[in-house]
Amino acid sequence: MISDERERLARRALSFAAAGETEVLVHDEDRALTRFTHNSIHQNLASSGTSVRFRVVLEGRTGLAATNLTDDASLRATARRAADLAALAPHDPVFPGLPDGRPRIAAPAGAFVEATAQASPQTRAGIAADIFAAAEASGLWSAGFVTSSRGGITVANSRGLLDSFDGTDCGVNVKQNAPDSTGFAEHFDTNVSALDGSRLGTIAATKARASSDPQPMEPGVWTVIFEPAAFGELLAYLMDHFSARAYDEGSSFLSDGLDKAYTGTNVTLVDDYANAHAPGMPFDFEGSPKQRVTLLENGVARSLVTDAYWAAKLGRENTGHAGPYAGSRGPEPLNPVLAPGTKSLEQLIAETERGLLVSRLWYIRPVDQRRTIVTGMTRDGTFLIEGGKVTRGVRNMRFNQSILEALRASEFSSGPARTVSFNYSIVTPAAKIAAFRFTSTTDF
Amino acid sequence: MSDYVFEAGAQRALDTAVARGAQYADVRFEDGRSESIEVRNGVVAALTDERSCGYGVRAFFDGAWGFAASDDQSDAGFDATAARAVAIARAGATVAALRFAEAPSERYVDTYATPVLIDPATIPVGDRVAFLLEVERAARSAKRVTTAHAGIELWRTAKEFYSTTGSRIAQTIYQSGSVVGALAVGGGEAQDRTYPGDVGLFQSGGWEIVRAARLDENAERIGEEADRLLDAPQCPSEITDVILGGSQVSLQIHESCGHAAELDRIMGWEANFSGTSFLDPAQRGKLRYGSPIVTIELDNTLALGLATVGYDDEGARSTRSDIVRDGLLSGFLMSRDTARTLGLPTNACVRAQGWRDVPMIRMCNLNLLPGDRPFEALFEDVERGVYMESNRSWSIDDHRLNFQFGCQIGWEIRNGKVGRMLKNPTYAGVTPQFWNSCDAIADARSWTAWGTPSCGKGEPIQIGRTTQAAAPARFRNVQVGVGYDD
Repeated sequence: MISDERERLARRALSFAAAGETEVLVHDEDRALTRFTHNSIHQNLASSGTSVRFRVVLEGRTGLAATNLTDDASLRATARRAADLAALAPHDPVFPGLPDGRPRIAAPAGAFVEATAQASPQTRAGIAADIFAAAEASGLWSAGFVTSSRGGITVANSRGLLDSFDGTDCGVNVKQNAPDSTGFAEHFDTNVSALDGSRLGTIAATKARASSDPQPMEPGVWTVIFEPAAFGELLAYLMDHFSARAYDEGSSFLSDGLDKAYTGTNVTLVDDYANAHAPGMPFDFEGSPKQRVTLLENGVARSLVTDAYWAAKLGRENTGHAGPYAGSRGPEPLNPVLAPGTKSLEQLIAETERGLLVSRLWYIRPVDQRRTIVTGMTRDGTFLIEGGKVTRGVRNMRFNQSILEALRASEFSSGPARTVSFNYSIVTPAAKIAAFRFTSTTDF
Repeated sequence: MSDYVFEAGAQRALDTAVARGAQYADVRFEDGRSESIEVRNGVVAALTDERSCGYGVRAFFDGAWGFAASDDQSDAGFDATAARAVAIARAGATVAALRFAEAPSERYVDTYATPVLIDPATIPVGDRVAFLLEVERAARSAKRVTTAHAGIELWRTAKEFYSTTGSRIAQTIYQSGSVVGALAVGGGEAQDRTYPGDVGLFQSGGWEIVRAARLDENAERIGEEADRLLDAPQCPSEITDVILGGSQVSLQIHESCGHAAELDRIMGWEANFSGTSFLDPAQRGKLRYGSPIVTIELDNTLALGLATVGYDDEGARSTRSDIVRDGLLSGFLMSRDTARTLGLPTNACVRAQGWRDVPMIRMCNLNLLPGDRPFEALFEDVERGVYMESNRSWSIDDHRLNFQFGCQIGWEIRNGKVGRMLKNPTYAGVTPQFWNSCDAIADARSWTAWGTPSCGKGEPIQIGRTTQAAAPARFRNVQVGVGYDD
């Protein structure tokens, strides 16, 4: 479905609005994923669909109903249901109403690439075949995926708002498997022609080979260099804290106050939908323009992200960060970008007398949300650094670490990369953390 | 109304798939409705009613599967989606060194419906909202509780399955759940409590499941406990005996047995994401997974089980089988393709999140059988230990061995008695050693079908609904108090 067609559907849906203010969110998507293991494709899928969500506001009472049946009768019934639910909700004096109409906002360059939208199963299978070839050249087996998708959002409301966004996305995730070691590589992009299965397959294979016969290391406090895929996973667990809701309710470290230093002075974190590595949607899921928000500036907490409701509740500006989920989840910074440093990853390694190089993290969970303590595991390529050189593979370890404390003495590489964790599209460099606490080890 | 509303569309899609060269095909239609209410700090934060209808076509060609899904219910849509599934299967077959699949031959014609005592539709939405507002207010009554929430989820899914072998299966699944929670903040820290368990009580059934949770009788206590936790001493770091509440035992089964026993994971099909497993098919009947009192059954016919259905999403009939029997590894969670590699029949563990999702092995109902003594008797011969309830944090490595879990609340145990409250209780271990340290399980009176409504697996990630029925259990010599360095 193209945006014209989606907007026609949105207008038709809006015409069934009965009372109060009504918002219509139309989402359509076509996604495909080719998944492989043991150098063969074992899951190969595609799906397409369109959904229409009504949000009806009756004097501070909100009801929401959604359907993917787009005939007139279904749309009319769904609009009615949203209005009925709104009538049953208690009055919420905070709710500011729906956003006003405004001029359309252009999508950032590179957000939509036709080649990605048209990528075929043969294209994905070809990239997978290049990965298999890299594995077979090293006597390994591959597991991973090649994905491509296109999606569009249209937001329309009874206050005259109408805007649309179309985007594409694609990615490769590859884990190469040796008898007693593994190696990982990934690449996410909006342009399918940027996906190089051979290069990524070779990077992962080299790591798998280099980490063979991994040796146990003593748990304890280590200097650790995280590659972007690993550090992005860690950063994802900081992002909730910048939600106005978490701040207000007291579960965020920012509940101790804004304009305070929480990390080292080299840490600057923004939410930026227009970053060239990850161009995204220029407005949020209720149609408010997304602002570029400075979350941490030289270590000092500068701002929260808000949506219409939380901006009104806290008396702050609406930064345009309403998330895709209806309900109480609150605003989210979905496009975090961590400012890079000036040294290459290789320089950071060369300047490390003794430490660990981590390719990827796994199963991170908060242990103490307010204090940003998380636990998790290393996986798929963990190495010992000695005398400025990567010398051998080591067995995986469990960490328990406050993210904020880790960021008090950190250094970042140049050359950031995009990674994906949950709904976050994260742009981050590699990070060298001076003191990172591991608490146990594994036998692999 | 007929149970088979999608029959004509399904037949058209199957015919098209065969005409395009599929050697087998099946079609799964789903019409899902999801009603959700969340009340937060005195206001209704979410009041939603969502419906989604569509279908997925699986096509088999030369040992490879293709899957395509759509919500386009026109003839052109059926044709295009079926053709797409075949094209994907053909593309996969061109680069497949291995052949993962064989065309199924089973045929079932049947219907199934979840037993429902109280149809949720008979409970007015206004009454549901009023109930939650009252529950949430009670949870917020303690002094330092800054946020309370209460919620209800009601799901109804009508499914139809058709295959080129002649299967025709219609099912209607009802699942319901509710929860209340409170967050207390003070002195720069936050403590949260939820009830029942960590995510609420989620089971298959209707409004009777919401009633069974008894939110109204427990909301105030939950708020008070969150408040008191702010003043409680930290759980010490030591090796000691641990008694886990039933919902935490459920999570322990889920993470350290359920995912470990998924045969697709063991075969490397999840290697790049969810990981593999420390288990090997050759260990079946040999590996001492746990102590002799540990028996874990797969039972997809379990009353109240969230994964209870008549047939799974590749059209196989629900069954019951051993995964761990008297402490020995006895079986795995399987699909047709994976079971075939062991020369076994499937035990019907295939599920898809919805119509747009490819069916794959999911955990389903995996239950620790109850023990022989009352819950209170677990404490009697514990000289020193910690009792923990309701999960707060969970992490396990990608082979399902090294785990660390945290609970919302703990209590000291001294000389067989429950003592003072402890905050931030955590424990860690290695899967087989931990299950072999289990020396007592409470009896059937405290055995509950704990449902997990949001288990993630697969790529694109799918959210599964599963149950691990369990009673409280005791484990000896466990490392507790991990994660904090002060």
